[in-house]
Amino acid sequence: MQMEHSESTAFSSSKLPFLAITALLLSACVTSRVEDVRAIETHISAGEGVVIMAKSYHLGNETESKFISCVGDSLGRGSKRLKVVPNGAFIDSLFPWFEPRTAPAKTEGLATLMARPGVAKKIESQGVRYIIWLDGNTDRVAGGGSMSCAAGPGGGGCFGFAWWQNDANYEASIWDLKGQESAGTISTDVSGTSFMPALIIPIPLIARTQTKACKALAEQLSIFLKQDGSA
Amino acid sequence: MTKNIRIAAVSILLALGTSGCSSQVELVNPNIPKLLIEKIPLTVVVKYPDNFNHYVYEEDVIGDSNWTIDLGGANKTMFNNLFGSMFTSVKVIEEGESLDDLQFDAYIEPSIEKFEFAIPAQSRTKSYAVWIRYRLKVFDANGVQISNWPVSAYGKQMGGKMNGADTIKKAAVLAMRDATAVIGIQMDKATGVSKLSSAHGPAETTPASTVGESAKTVSTDEESAISE
Repeated sequence: MQMEHSESTAFSSSKLPFLAITALLLSACVTSRVEDVRAIETHISAGEGVVIMAKSYHLGNETESKFISCVGDSLGRGSKRLKVVPNGAFIDSLFPWFEPRTAPAKTEGLATLMARPGVAKKIESQGVRYIIWLDGNTDRVAGGGSMSCAAGPGGGGCFGFAWWQNDANYEASIWDLKGQESAGTISTDVSGTSFMPALIIPIPLIARTQTKACKALAEQLSIFLKQDGSA
Repeated sequence: MTKNIRIAAVSILLALGTSGCSSQVELVNPNIPKLLIEKIPLTVVVKYPDNFNHYVYEEDVIGDSNWTIDLGGANKTMFNNLFGSMFTSVKVIEEGESLDDLQFDAYIEPSIEKFEFAIPAQSRTKSYAVWIRYRLKVFDANGVQISNWPVSAYGKQMGGKMNGADTIKKAAVLAMRDATAVIGIQMDKATGVSKLSSAHGPAETTPASTVGESAKTVSTDEESAISE
């Protein structure tokens, strides 16, 4: 029994580097591009923060709520963290002015919105300086291969190879609520190919396209908003 | 003994079979916040239809399952919250209660005209959607109908880790929030209800019909615009 165990360990030890290198080579198929366009200088004072929201689905947007949470969590963590106001509480406190149908689609609508009774006060009380509107989504753009699995009384297994490519395209529009103007936009385009070879056991080598897009966008947003080094 | 086992097995199979072909959605206490708007100085009386106490929509979706969407009393909760945020004084009357002894500026009869939904199998998208069409009839203190306003509301929720029933529930809440937002922002513009204030004197409107005389309705019958 012990021998079996040691044999098994020896097998794992000899194969492990090969598997790890193969996994790294295969799972490293992610390319990313991040661009920002700055319209004005940005500055966040102490007590000021941001709120991250999805652009309206009335405008055809389908940004995943998971992605919005990911960007918010990433911005609110680490040494360069920003104050991120939860979007649900922000939208509820300003109901009905940030609903998908009523939210301003352009910065030109900000002046009218801020002039409405109670709106500016509610925004100020929550310390929201910038609204970050997210637009875009992650889509599967290609895929192929084949895999078949079978199971019988003596056991089961899979054989084959499958792959798929996901593209994550997102754009963040940053609105300065104090200046009532657009501060700029940041776009990220991440493409990743995942593989799943199967020789009895399927080994998924997943390209975390959306997570990569989230981290890249959050990092760039953090730099963009803290450009002058103030916190 | 064998017969009992057979009956039990058939019952279990039947139960499994039927439960796999139906989707139940129950909406309890939707999250619709108070509106951040200025109140219109009016005393209004509101009467809800019976189905506002328990609205149930059923549809057999071909190729999917039989859906039962139970909104319960959510419509009543929504309109109570909405009118409470919109007007300085609101009184809700029940079926059979008379308006004769009441002092008011406007009388409103909301109703639900249509409920529709779409699941990914139908729309070929990743999202679940709900459409609700409400109708608001507004009368002045003399019982003259001044407006008959249809309001179309829409809610969309992306399918994710949640099951279909929970996603439809979220889409229904979004549709109700949409209706609340549209009515809260546009009702005065669409119906002219604020002109009914007793402080403004009699409303200058063309009588279209009176309470209980809906067949003659010809006044404002426009779909709500997308934005203000």
